[in-house]
Amino acid sequence: MCERRPISRRNLVEAALALAASPLLRYVPAALADQADISEIAPGVFVHQGRYEIQSPENRGDMANACFVVGRDGVAVIDTLGSAVAGRELRDAIRAVTDKPIRYVINTHMHPDHVFGNAAFKEDDPVYVGHHKLARDLASRADRYLAINKQMLGDAAFQGIEIILPTLAVDGMQTLDLGARSLVLETQPTAHTDNDMTITDTATDTLFLGDLLFSVHVPTLDGSIKGWLALLDKLSRREAARVVPGHGPKAMELPGALESEQRYLATIANDVRRLIKEGKTLEDATKVAGFSERDAWKLFDQYHVRNVTAAFAELEWE
Amino acid sequence: MFPSLVYRTGFAAIACAAHILLAPAAKAEQDVWPALRQQTFGDRQIQAEDGAVILEIPGTAEDASLVPLTVRVPPAVTQKLKSLTLFIDKNPDPLVASLSFGPAAGSGGERSFSTRVRIDMFSHVRAVLETEDGILHMATKFVAAAGGCGAMQAKDPDAETVDLGKMIVKTFPPALSTSPIWSSLVMIKHPNQNGMQLNINTVDIIPARFVKEMTVKRGGELVFQMQSTFSISTNPNFRFTFGRGADNSLDVVVKDTDGAVFTAQSEPSGS
Repeated sequence: MCERRPISRRNLVEAALALAASPLLRYVPAALADQADISEIAPGVFVHQGRYEIQSPENRGDMANACFVVGRDGVAVIDTLGSAVAGRELRDAIRAVTDKPIRYVINTHMHPDHVFGNAAFKEDDPVYVGHHKLARDLASRADRYLAINKQMLGDAAFQGIEIILPTLAVDGMQTLDLGARSLVLETQPTAHTDNDMTITDTATDTLFLGDLLFSVHVPTLDGSIKGWLALLDKLSRREAARVVPGHGPKAMELPGALESEQRYLATIANDVRRLIKEGKTLEDATKVAGFSERDAWKLFDQYHVRNVTAAFAELEWE
Repeated sequence: MFPSLVYRTGFAAIACAAHILLAPAAKAEQDVWPALRQQTFGDRQIQAEDGAVILEIPGTAEDASLVPLTVRVPPAVTQKLKSLTLFIDKNPDPLVASLSFGPAAGSGGERSFSTRVRIDMFSHVRAVLETEDGILHMATKFVAAAGGCGAMQAKDPDAETVDLGKMIVKTFPPALSTSPIWSSLVMIKHPNQNGMQLNINTVDIIPARFVKEMTVKRGGELVFQMQSTFSISTNPNFRFTFGRGADNSLDVVVKDTDGAVFTAQSEPSGS
């Protein structure tokens, strides 16, 4: 079902450039180091990098980046990986760094690889935080998400997964205080999904973009291609010391971090618009649109046709 | 936990009226076609895979909520067409659409009908064509897709009802000007709600609302009348052929399950 292709040279070069360009990435990690592959990318900001894979019994849904920010009074977790098992490992890694209470579990959006580890934090009794549309959208997809993930993860890795919806719904901008540092949450218009939320750690000027930013891993479109391109345009004019993608390296720099994704989405949009103009069908488009991007991304064969399908269904109404 | 798990089996019953309804678990196991066939066509013979009708649909659907489906009737079939019925065996309502063709449906070239469908679980998909001589011809494909129907959601539900009922109708002359077969594209902005989703904010089921009938006429003459269900994807989209007339503009009338009526005329041809 999922043929894997080796990472292309272009991906490697891009990743290497991204690393070389970011001096803060050389910040020496704290003690935990090898556990769950977590790095401290800035003081008190920790990122675990997920694998460029689709969910499997082997990866236990560990396929997106998960982060945590340690303040004076407590910890905020940003995304919880794709299973309770992986979420538990993330929690263990947090506990290896700090014994401060886990006050907040923030989900950047509704997708299973970012929320299915939520249950691992139940004993901490945190405030679960998300975009105000996340609850509705995740709830209406829950049956399907659970069924698909049970099948793909297998029984062992599926064990303990629960749908835990936000107890704090954010609409607009909201600040969470961790003691001596705060996180600014901003809900975004429909882009990757219709419930994307970005988070800024004000102490280090680190911007967590969730799946608004993919690097190396092909972007997946589950919202609006026009909305996403417009939002990326806006984000490219923003300043931050570093950004953390939902899939990709642990930290990148603006605006270069966004360029590959902008090019990918713009290529699809341009190709699809041209095909629509020529009177071509959705089926025609899924065979040609955006295929010039094939060598630039991992998991292209798994997600690209779906992206074109969604783009076509949106753009044919222009 | 989550009310939708508890109520789910009830949803299908609300959404579908006439056709075979089975609990999802039972349905996954069962071959529903014999009963479905009996219910729709009685004891009539059906000629399977005789080449009179060709069904094109991807064997694996990338997006189960938006699966392109095309039915072709090759030029070797010269008869007029009476009806076309599309089924997805394992969908909550297996009947997708049923078309009755009129005098303006055309003949004398390749005829086709395309739309996009939701597929709830791995299923056979069928096109049954009735030619003028009353013979039924069937093409069947198996599609690996899951989650398109019971769990079908809009990517942006708030944007869904904006412009509800907006239609685009285009006609295209044939590549060869001597061909008597024209083609058309009809797009309808409509959520085609299947009545199987829960609104978490109100803990109510979002009521079913879908396009149930579409009538296409060319200069007052019927091309086809179609009855359809929520197995048609959000923003229903149809491409089909029709017979050349003196004036090749089309009138399209669409009715949904709420009783709303939407009408549109084709834009100037070739646009």
